[in-house]
Amino acid sequence: MGLAYEHGNPRRQLRPRAGILPTGHFLRQEQGPMRTTNWLLILVCAGSLRVRAQEFGEGSSATAVLAQEHAWFDAQARSDNRVLDRIFDNALVYIEDGRLVTKGEYLSRVRLAGSHPGQITVETTTVHVFAGTAIVVGTYREIGVKDGKTFLRRWRFIDTWVNKQGSWILVAAGAAPLSK
Amino acid sequence: MRTLMLVTLLTCTGTSAGYAQRNSESGAESKIVAMEHVWAQAYMIKDPKALARILDDAFVCVGSDGKLLTKPDILADVKTSTALQIMTESMVVHLHGDTAIVAGTFRTKGVERGKPYARRERFVDTWRYKDGQWVSLTSMVTLAGN
Repeated sequence: MGLAYEHGNPRRQLRPRAGILPTGHFLRQEQGPMRTTNWLLILVCAGSLRVRAQEFGEGSSATAVLAQEHAWFDAQARSDNRVLDRIFDNALVYIEDGRLVTKGEYLSRVRLAGSHPGQITVETTTVHVFAGTAIVVGTYREIGVKDGKTFLRRWRFIDTWVNKQGSWILVAAGAAPLSK
Repeated sequence: MRTLMLVTLLTCTGTSAGYAQRNSESGAESKIVAMEHVWAQAYMIKDPKALARILDDAFVCVGSDGKLLTKPDILADVKTSTALQIMTESMVVHLHGDTAIVAGTFRTKGVERGKPYARRERFVDTWRYKDGQWVSLTSMVTLAGN
C-alpha cells in the first residue's frame, strides 16, 4: 500500500518524460518578489517516462492526472493563462521558496515574466489516487543561469489534485530543494 | 397561490440546505484545525500514537531539506523530537468536498545537540475524509520566506 518511493526502491527506473513537467516550478524567484528568474526552457527529453501509478484500480484517474500535469507544463511553456486558469482551482495554495503564492499572483507572473532559457528534467513521478483526490510526488532537476554562472538544483515536489465535476483541478502544490 | 407557496418552500429548503452545508463545512474545518493542533502537540510531548491516528498509512511528507518521509519515518521522528514549543501563527483551511488543504505558518523552538534553535516554517497539508474521519495524506514544510 502506498506510494512507490524512490528511496530504497531499486525497482524504480524512471526517466524524464517527454515534454512533461509536473509543476509550475519555473516561477521560482531568487531575489525578491519582482524579480522572476530563469524562465525555464523545458528540455524535451528523448524517450519516455515510465510512470509508476499505484492507484488501486484507478488507472484512468492516474492517467488523467498526469495529463493535467502535462497540460500545466504545456500551458506554462506557452504562457497560456486561459488554460492555467482552468487547471488551477481559485483557492490554489502554491508554496514557492517558503512563500505562499495565490492563483492570481501566479497567473499575473506568467503574464508579466519574460523568457529566460533554463532546463528542467523530471526525474521521478508517482501518482496515488484516493477516490476524488490525487497526490503526485516526484523530483526534478533544474539547470539555470544566475549572475552569469550555471547552477544545478534538484527539487522534490508534491501536487494535490481534486476531481471537480469530472475534471482534475490543482488545489495545492509545492517544492523543496533537495539537500546535496 | 400554490406557486407562491412552492417558491417559498423551495427557498426555505434551499436556505436550510445552504445553512446545513455551511454548518457542516464549519464543523469539518474545526475538526481539521483541532487535528493540526494534535499534530503539533504530539511533537512536543513525543506521542507517536496520537499522530498515528491522524496520518493515512500512505502519508508522505516533504521537509525543508527535500527529504521524503513516510508515516513510519514520521512516527519515529516524533519519538526523538527536539521541539519544545510549536506556535501556530496562521492556519487557513480550504475545503474541496472530501478533501481539505490547510496552509499556514508556525514557529518552533527547541534544543538540538545542546544548542537552542528557533525557526519559522510554512506548511501545506492535504487531508481527506476517509471512513468517517479526516486523515492527512501529505504535508510539505519549508522554511518560511518573506
